[in-house]
Amino acid sequence: MKNFEYLEPRTLTEACEFLDKNEEAKILAGGLSLILLMKYNLVTPRYLINLNAVPNLANIEYVSESGARIGALVTDQDVIESPIIAEKYPLLVEAGRKIASVSVRNYGTIGGNICHADPSADFPPALVALSANLKIVGSRGQRTIPIEELFVDYLESSLAPNDVLTEIEIPPPLPRTGWSFHELGTTSNSAAVLSVAALISLDSAGRCQQASIALGSAGPVPIKVSQAQDILAGQKLDSKLIEAIALEAQKRCNPISDVFGSAEYKREMVKVLTMRALNEAVARAEAISS
Amino acid sequence: MSKQVARFIVNRRPYEILIEPQMTLLQVLRDELDLTGAKSGCGVGECGSCTVIVDGKLTRSCLTLAITAREKSILTIEGLAEGNNLHPIQQAFIDCGGLQCGFCTPGMILAAKALLDKSPHPSREEVKEWLVGNLCRCTGYVKIVDAVLVASERMGKGGK
Repeated sequence: MKNFEYLEPRTLTEACEFLDKNEEAKILAGGLSLILLMKYNLVTPRYLINLNAVPNLANIEYVSESGARIGALVTDQDVIESPIIAEKYPLLVEAGRKIASVSVRNYGTIGGNICHADPSADFPPALVALSANLKIVGSRGQRTIPIEELFVDYLESSLAPNDVLTEIEIPPPLPRTGWSFHELGTTSNSAAVLSVAALISLDSAGRCQQASIALGSAGPVPIKVSQAQDILAGQKLDSKLIEAIALEAQKRCNPISDVFGSAEYKREMVKVLTMRALNEAVARAEAISS
Repeated sequence: MSKQVARFIVNRRPYEILIEPQMTLLQVLRDELDLTGAKSGCGVGECGSCTVIVDGKLTRSCLTLAITAREKSILTIEGLAEGNNLHPIQQAFIDCGGLQCGFCTPGMILAAKALLDKSPHPSREEVKEWLVGNLCRCTGYVKIVDAVLVASERMGKGGK
C-alpha cells in the first residue's frame, strides 16, 4: 500500500474543510472496500480522512411523522440489530443480513455500502424500494436527494470529491405493508448475482395502495421498476398482475454475462425472483389485519 | 507521512510500536509483535484467517489499518489460554477433532469465542451462519461446528 497522510477530524466542519482544500483525499468509514482497493494500489489517496471521530454520524432515530434517520456511519451489523429498523423496515434488515459475514458487518457502514456504488451491494435495492433520501453535506451546504440519484455507473457515484453523505432518511411505512428480499448468489455470503426488493402496501379492502420494486446486480446501478406503482395501484393483486410486473422488471433489467451467469439466465431469474418477492410481500401484507 | 509511535493493547499488554499509516493491523501483529496466530490467507477479507477481536468485535485484521486500532483492546489467539490452561473452546476443538492443518483454526476459535460471548447457547444453524466468514479447506466444517457446540455446553455448565 502506498504511503498517505492520515487525519482524524473531530467535527464534520473540519472534515469538509479538509476535503475542500485537498483533492486527493478519501473518506475512511469502515474501510473494508477502500482498504482493499488501496492494498492493490487501485486507489492511492494522498490523504485518508477517518470520519469515525466525528460525533452524531452513527445514530438511528425514528419519528412517526417523518420516518427514520440513519447516520451514514451506522455499521451494517447495527442496522440489522436495530429494534427500530426491525419493527419499521424489516426489508432493510433482510437486505443487511445478506452482507458478507459478521466481521465485515461489524465495520462496514450503510453509508459506505451506498457510496461505493457497487451494483451488487445489498442495501441499495432495499433503500430504493423504501424510497430513501440521502442527506449530503458539501462545500456549498447541505442537500437532500432521492437515493436513485446517487448511482451513476459501476463504482461511480454522483458525489463530488468534497461531499460527505451524513444521513439516510426513510419515510414512515404505510400500516399494511408487506416486504420481501430475494437474492441469487454463489454461496450464502457471496456478493449478490441478482437481487429483488419488494414492498407492497394494501388498503383495508386488500387493494394495492403502494408498490415498490427494485433490482440489484441487474445493471450498473440499482433499478427501480417504476411501472409497478402505475400498474398495481388500486388493484387486487392476482397471479396475472404479478406476472405482468415480473415481465416489466425483466424489460427494465440490463445484466451482464459473467462467471456467475449469462445475461439471458439472469434476465430469466429477474422474472422468477420478482414473482417470488411479490408473492411473499403480498402474503405478508395480507397477514396484517386492516 | 513518516513513522509515528502508536500504542496498542494486545492480550491485555500495552505495546508501543513505530508504525506507518499504511500498515495493516495484521502486519503489526505478525511482523512487529511476533503474534503469528493471525494469518494472511486471502488478503482481501474473505477467508477469515486474519480474524482477531478488537473491543469485543470480530475484525478482519488484514483490512484494518493499524493506526485505527490504537488504544483499543485487541485479543489474538495467543491471548486466549491462561498460562497452561486452554480455553474451553480450544479444548473442545482438540477433543472434537475440529482441525487438520490448523491454518484457519485461530480465526475459527476467535469467531467461536465472539459468538459464545454474545449468544452462549447457539443452535447448530446459528453456529454455521456465524462462521460463514471463516473458510476451512481441510475439515468440511462438521467437526468445527461440533466443537463450538461442545464448548458452549461445557461453558454453560460452569466451566470458564
